[in-house]
Amino acid sequence: MAHSRSHIWFVGPAVILMFVILILPIFVAGIFSFTDYNLGSTDFRWIGWKNYEALGKYSAYRKMFTASLTYVVIVVPVSVFLGLGSAMLISSLRFGGEFYKAIFFLPVMATLLAMAYAWEFTLDPVMGVLNKVLDDGCSVGWFYKFFTGSWLGFNPTESWYGGLCSDRMPNWLGNKKYALGSIAFIGIWQAFGFNMVLYLAGLMAVPRDLYAAAEIDGANSTWEKFKLVTWPMLGPTHVFVVTITSIRSFQVFDTVEALTRGGPSKSTYVMVYAMFEKGVKQNLIGMGSTLTIVFLGFVLLLTLTQVFFINRKVHYS
Amino acid sequence: MKQRTNWGSEAGKHIVLIVGALVVILPFYLMLSFSLKSPSEIQSISGGFFGAQEMMIDHRCLKAGRSELECTMLPIVYNYRAAFEEAPLLRYLLNGVIVTLSIFAIQVLIALPCAYALAKLKFWGRDVVFGMVIFCLLIPVHAIAFPIYLMLAKIGLTNTYAALIIPWTISVFGIFLMRQFFKTVPDDLINAARMDGMSEFSIVWKVMLPTAIPALLAFAIFSVVAHWNDYYWPRIVITGDHDLMTPPLGLRMFKSDMDGNEYGPMMAAATVIVAPLVVAFLLAQRRFIEGITLSGMK
Repeated sequence: MAHSRSHIWFVGPAVILMFVILILPIFVAGIFSFTDYNLGSTDFRWIGWKNYEALGKYSAYRKMFTASLTYVVIVVPVSVFLGLGSAMLISSLRFGGEFYKAIFFLPVMATLLAMAYAWEFTLDPVMGVLNKVLDDGCSVGWFYKFFTGSWLGFNPTESWYGGLCSDRMPNWLGNKKYALGSIAFIGIWQAFGFNMVLYLAGLMAVPRDLYAAAEIDGANSTWEKFKLVTWPMLGPTHVFVVTITSIRSFQVFDTVEALTRGGPSKSTYVMVYAMFEKGVKQNLIGMGSTLTIVFLGFVLLLTLTQVFFINRKVHYS
Repeated sequence: MKQRTNWGSEAGKHIVLIVGALVVILPFYLMLSFSLKSPSEIQSISGGFFGAQEMMIDHRCLKAGRSELECTMLPIVYNYRAAFEEAPLLRYLLNGVIVTLSIFAIQVLIALPCAYALAKLKFWGRDVVFGMVIFCLLIPVHAIAFPIYLMLAKIGLTNTYAALIIPWTISVFGIFLMRQFFKTVPDDLINAARMDGMSEFSIVWKVMLPTAIPALLAFAIFSVVAHWNDYYWPRIVITGDHDLMTPPLGLRMFKSDMDGNEYGPMMAAATVIVAPLVVAFLLAQRRFIEGITLSGMK
């Protein structure tokens, strides 16, 4: 081994940058989270845990946790399920798999902010295509019957869609009943293609002979083979997909900032948006730092959970 | 055991996938379609995909004092012209290119030597440095964006190219990835280079770099896509200076500067911003999928 000092020049810049850009800011946020500092004033006071207490005290912050958690709880299971489902369908096709794969992956690639505006126009209460279809559907027999559930014997006027038909179509992003759901829908649309690709790779790695072995053991139906072989063999993929989707959904910002700005009545007031609003727009440095620390706590918790599960050996091979 | 194709179930799968594909494509379709149609066709949801392409008069052009003949144009021309003339769209695109390429170049410049040292050199403190890399992998830059912004504001760097680039100069993921890759390069190759009298410095750039091209290409796609599309960080550090805005931020400003019903030009601008990556993706799908899911394949 050569005894040169070149490693200092090789490692030095990276170590300095890691420290200044990734580690130091955590301490900066940690320190300021105990102050009432804001950019307008020249000095600040130490206020102890007051910023953290505020998170539990004010309804705006409680709504923030509700919005963030609800968003994650909707987006993660649905996009993981759709990712796995589409991967299994695509991998079992005789032909055309590459085509669907490319299409489902498009939203992962495309600039989310631009696509958020495209969705905004699609969901527009007056000029949007979605409401036009729903509106026209009220007078189309089979469509109306299908969505009101009257084909199952429900009373059509009491159903959700029937109610919309006799009143008017929803303002998807402007009504607090629907806004978070609509934002979550865009999130799912954007995320599931990524999960699909990871699952496709995971499926490729499942040894074919395991299916034959399962058949010998009497697992004949597709469902039984899935339960016995596919699902458990995908163990590491599940852990990774769930963790990365959770972390990414916690970080949702673009769609919220562009389409709802946290509203209506704070129904879409997610954490990263709150951090941006308090810290950057209102210059409340103490509060922005507190939110940063809490947010980082959530992200670390998710990652450590992942590490824990991976070390527990989630599959047997 | 050979399975016969069950054409019934094959058709069923295609139907499900086609319905899914239609939903996925819908906003792309509408974006492109709106960028081609006239305002009245957009408002009344008519005209199909291309619109009737009837000549229309650009009112802003008339107000600027030009003749009616000059201001009569096809809706498609109107939309794209407005996108490029009403907003400095070319400037935004140029900024996007400058920022994404600078970030990638600096990331490689910092990460490659570090990865080489971690993989192939023995020195005091190596495990500590590697431990630091692993720890930093847990910290997403978006999560600590606010304190980074504070520090940049303190030294007066907001509203500069530097602010857009600095937080991304260190890619611990890049270091980790390249280290794993360099581990697989045989020591003999490096020893032979040392025998030839090459310095460690030229070993990094003349021996290791060429072996790492495939891994670097995947990392390039990963990095460029992420930063071309990033909206959160530019939104924080660039306030008001249009000359520094990246494409997504520019689109945001374009929307708030436009009148309420300028959907055509808006969607024309959105199309122009989304197009480069989508086209590149369609041309080199496998590489793109590999690059973007890189973080998932480690």
